[in-house]
Amino acid sequence: MEQPLTSATGGFPVIIKAENVNKRFGDLHVLKDFNLEVHKNEVVVIIGPSGSGKSTFLRCINHLEKIDSGHIFVNGRMIGYKERNGRLVEESEKAIAMQRAQIGMVFQRFNLFPHLTALENIMEAPVNVSKIPKEQARADARRLLARVGLADKQDAYPNQLSGGQQQRVAIARALAMKPGLMLFDEPTSALDPEMIGEVLDVMKELAQEMTMLVVSHEMGFARAAANRIIFIDEGRIIEDTTPDELFANPREERTKAFLSKILH
Amino acid sequence: MFHFRWDVFWQYLWPPTALQNPLIRDGLIVTIVVSILAQVLGVLFGLIAALAKMSKFGPLRWLADVYIWYFRGTPLLVQMFLLFFGFGVTHIYGFPDIHFGIVTISGAIQAGTVALAINEGAYMAEIVRAGIEAIDPGQMEAAKSLGMTYGLAMRRIVLPQATKVIIPPLGNEFNNMMKTTSLMVVLGGADLFYGFTQVNALIFRPFELFIAASFYYLVLTTIWSFIQARIEAGLGERKAIQRAPGMLQRIFTTGRAH
Repeated sequence: MEQPLTSATGGFPVIIKAENVNKRFGDLHVLKDFNLEVHKNEVVVIIGPSGSGKSTFLRCINHLEKIDSGHIFVNGRMIGYKERNGRLVEESEKAIAMQRAQIGMVFQRFNLFPHLTALENIMEAPVNVSKIPKEQARADARRLLARVGLADKQDAYPNQLSGGQQQRVAIARALAMKPGLMLFDEPTSALDPEMIGEVLDVMKELAQEMTMLVVSHEMGFARAAANRIIFIDEGRIIEDTTPDELFANPREERTKAFLSKILH
Repeated sequence: MFHFRWDVFWQYLWPPTALQNPLIRDGLIVTIVVSILAQVLGVLFGLIAALAKMSKFGPLRWLADVYIWYFRGTPLLVQMFLLFFGFGVTHIYGFPDIHFGIVTISGAIQAGTVALAINEGAYMAEIVRAGIEAIDPGQMEAAKSLGMTYGLAMRRIVLPQATKVIIPPLGNEFNNMMKTTSLMVVLGGADLFYGFTQVNALIFRPFELFIAASFYYLVLTTIWSFIQARIEAGLGERKAIQRAPGMLQRIFTTGRAH
């Protein structure tokens, strides 16, 4: 199923389009008729209480989680499923892997590969998935490491790096696949406070040129880099506006209550 | 009154004289080769069974369950008899001797090796599975998020990490394997123990000979425990997972018995 690449309102092409997405974990209804559009070069921050479905939604976008109904499109292509005789069937493993290759993801716990050096972590997917020649992948990886400020750490193993450094390597690793979209799942919440800044700085710079969907409660980042902020509660979008607007005039009571908690 | 024949004892204990006897020399080679071969095949079967057991495909999981259940739940000796004598009469495969130039591999050794390997696979399956499950699921997710398929992520990301968890128990399994090969003697497989039983049949000095036989197994397992310690020290170099037990502890602690 193809979707028009340009929305009626935007002007910029639609990168993510979620339509009536439902997701359950057993009896727990995590996403309820969830709808969202994200346009090219938009930086969207998602906030919400724990268990509100924000991380689950992120993980549905690259099909790390299956959805129970609805559609998710990235660049106009349906993610994880194809339509056959009017019914949705799961795509082949290979096809899903190819879709994921174009979506970068950064995890809360970094998930670097501990048996590989920083450079090898970054080269792993370009060499083994995209089949890029090793020498070229190595040169690309060095450039990416320099870009996240870790040129001198290329031979370090993850356990020799601080949390902030590991997360910057993880961002470089995701960028190595030249994704059109980056997903960040609470990228700073496992970090010691003094390391949060270095990761956010990398993300802010990236935000200039990348479509990003960021689950995070770093309001400083949202103010500085986000075009939109979305407040999710109980599997639904409660507010969808600009950061300045949300902080100045939260419309809903639960948004106010939540903001008062995270802004201290 | 029993008279201990020290001359016989020393003759069969001391390798330069004992290994002049082709029964013992060839038997020693067979024991070493069969141990390695059965262990390698056992690891392979174990890996396949472990992956099958974690499969999303039900029938594959049940097949692995039945394999592990059967081969861990029945005696190895019975499995050997079933394979060698049982299969022999079905005409599916009769285990004929195989000749490679001057080397002949008897049916008993073939059947013994296969039985040891299949049996070992059932034990290795649980060890491999535990090794894979010890790896943070975030590793598989990160690999998938980069566009790797399950197989590629397993091969490049998960298994290399799981290997470090698998190697210590694998070493203990191999220690066991070298001793367990002696069961092949009941099929008539000409291993090290068989060599001593044949010498005993000629000179009937069972006390002296079987002490000497046990000494050879002790040497094999002790050499292996040194090699194992070296391997594990190498694993620990880059990233200390768990301190390997010391040499004395390694020699004097008991492992699993079949």
